[in-house]
Amino acid sequence: MARPTTNGLAQALQALQIRSTLPARPVIRSLAQQRRTYAIEVEAAAQQSSTPTPSELPPTELAPAAPKIEFGNFLSRPARIVPASPSYFSGSPRFIDHVLELENLQAKYASLPTVAASEAPRMAWFKLAQFRDYVGEPVPMKKYKILVKILQRLNRIQPDMVPEEVKTTLKSFLRPGNPFAVEHISRTVDENGRARAKGKRKESTAVVQLVEGEGEVIVNGKSLVEVFQRVHDRESALWALRCTQRLDKYNAWVTVRGGGITGQAEAITLAIGRALMMHEPGLKPVLRKAGVISVDARRVERKKPGHVKARKMPTWVKR
Amino acid sequence: MIVRNLFMRQSRQLIALNRQAPVFTRSLSTEVASDTITQTPSVGSAEIAQSPVEQGIQTTSTVPEPRPLKQWDALEKRRHKFNTLGSKVQESYDPENVLRNPPKPADVTLEMLLAAGTHMGHSTSRWNPQNSRYIFGIREGIHIISLDVTAAYLRRAAKVVEEVAARGGIILFAGTRKGQKRSVVRAAELAKGYHIFERWIPGSLTNGQQILGHCKTKVVNALDQELSKFRVDLADRPSIKPDLVVVLNPLENVVLLHECGLNNVPTIGIIDTDADPTRVTYPIPANDDTLRGTNLIAGILGRAGEAGQARRLKMAQEGKTTYEPITARQLRLDPLTGTPPPGSELEKSERD
Repeated sequence: MARPTTNGLAQALQALQIRSTLPARPVIRSLAQQRRTYAIEVEAAAQQSSTPTPSELPPTELAPAAPKIEFGNFLSRPARIVPASPSYFSGSPRFIDHVLELENLQAKYASLPTVAASEAPRMAWFKLAQFRDYVGEPVPMKKYKILVKILQRLNRIQPDMVPEEVKTTLKSFLRPGNPFAVEHISRTVDENGRARAKGKRKESTAVVQLVEGEGEVIVNGKSLVEVFQRVHDRESALWALRCTQRLDKYNAWVTVRGGGITGQAEAITLAIGRALMMHEPGLKPVLRKAGVISVDARRVERKKPGHVKARKMPTWVKR
Repeated sequence: MIVRNLFMRQSRQLIALNRQAPVFTRSLSTEVASDTITQTPSVGSAEIAQSPVEQGIQTTSTVPEPRPLKQWDALEKRRHKFNTLGSKVQESYDPENVLRNPPKPADVTLEMLLAAGTHMGHSTSRWNPQNSRYIFGIREGIHIISLDVTAAYLRRAAKVVEEVAARGGIILFAGTRKGQKRSVVRAAELAKGYHIFERWIPGSLTNGQQILGHCKTKVVNALDQELSKFRVDLADRPSIKPDLVVVLNPLENVVLLHECGLNNVPTIGIIDTDADPTRVTYPIPANDDTLRGTNLIAGILGRAGEAGQARRLKMAQEGKTTYEPITARQLRLDPLTGTPPPGSELEKSERD
């Protein structure tokens, strides 16, 4: 630490000259020696060592004028090594520069009208890992969230009034390929009048081909009664047709695999519900209300070590 | 009484629930303005309301909605017009002004420092007796810093910043307290220096290669233009160290000051009555808890740096440098050993 006197710098410099083995930085050295070195003088001394210096000339004779400055040479000569970014000492200069740039933009265009967040165009910003790759710095999640917040605010500017500057800046934060550009293709009934749909429940998977007909149902090549002995299962399998009173209007050809009886029956429910929606999309609210197109994503919870089942603990014994 | 309390409480809640923004504020807010523009009359209601006969007439005479851009332009024009009307307010305080247009060191007055609250120290019980020479007296249990001393030390610090900038030094402005970010960035922008407004990573100077090693550097000529042909020589160089560090909150940046001391980097710091003035090379006795004061001091130092940079660039235009420029040969040398790297062209040419 430099001494607290007014000329602490000079003392520090002395200490530097004594202790430091590294070459002193140019500024420090020039401050210490209080010497002005003109680049031209150095160059002239190097180039024209043969020409007499003013001190060598007789005092009565005037020295010739100095040679012209070679600006081409002067400009191509290195002078200093400096950090590329003003945020160099923060350790993550590229990230900080991005944040400052975005904050400037936000302040500049703060008065532009905005739309509600739901009406702003959907933008897929970099994921955190992608952004880290992009800037090449370990950016923490919390700081990246702040940046995304600014991006979203800029994105909310009235779409037909967005300045070009903002557009290009926002574009540079989009992840490659636009995930929102992929359009969902809705499936329809094929040329033979079949609607094919899948459904899952527990471990079972059902595939249903639904055609217009008189109410025949074949499950895995067998009749419904053969596959499901319980009335409840039969009813739940065909609940989509039952609750819309279409039992005698469609024929279903079902393949169901895996799981138990209940799972299979309810997988068929979901599949038939989806297939029916392809034939008659207007039934969607009814089917939704009947609960036949809601996916039940619950699966059996895994057993854990130290537990008897998924959550059950062994009985506690005192000793 | 209980019933009355109940009514009071419930009615207050009800009012809070049903509260709607007054009409005049809604029309002024930008969001709602755009809402009204994007609103389109619902198709269904229009069809129901209009008979087939009326439809033909209506479609031809629909008035187009004003474009949002035009509407916004009109709003801005109106705002500008109203801002120029009325009496002129003089001598008002604009908090943005010190950031936008900070004063030059020569313009520093005691009134300015007083207005920024730089004279207020800490509670007398918290003082550091080393600051006794900067203290004017006690008022309401706090120490009052002598403003003429502050101004003198501030001018000295400004001179130091200017001279370092004029010699091509790297000036780092550090203000890590909440709210100091903009003034720090602005000062660095003016002085063509460097800024840090988040946490100082310990070891950035003492262990620079590890912490700042990946940050990019460049070789510039005397006019600060980048010379890209030397980019290859920048690999494996030690990280850059500042030549001067300006700290707006030295109490929270003990590590930074310690590292600067170890590396012989001179420091400028705002020293409040509870801080140790020997931790920095050039103390500025002032209140470091007021953002208005720190913004002012940072702005003044930034302006000083700006003047120094202007001087340096002017000299460079004439082909002079006030510092010893690094040579192409020095750039090619191995930064650790100071000799030409083995097997390089430089070594071969020197051997011949």
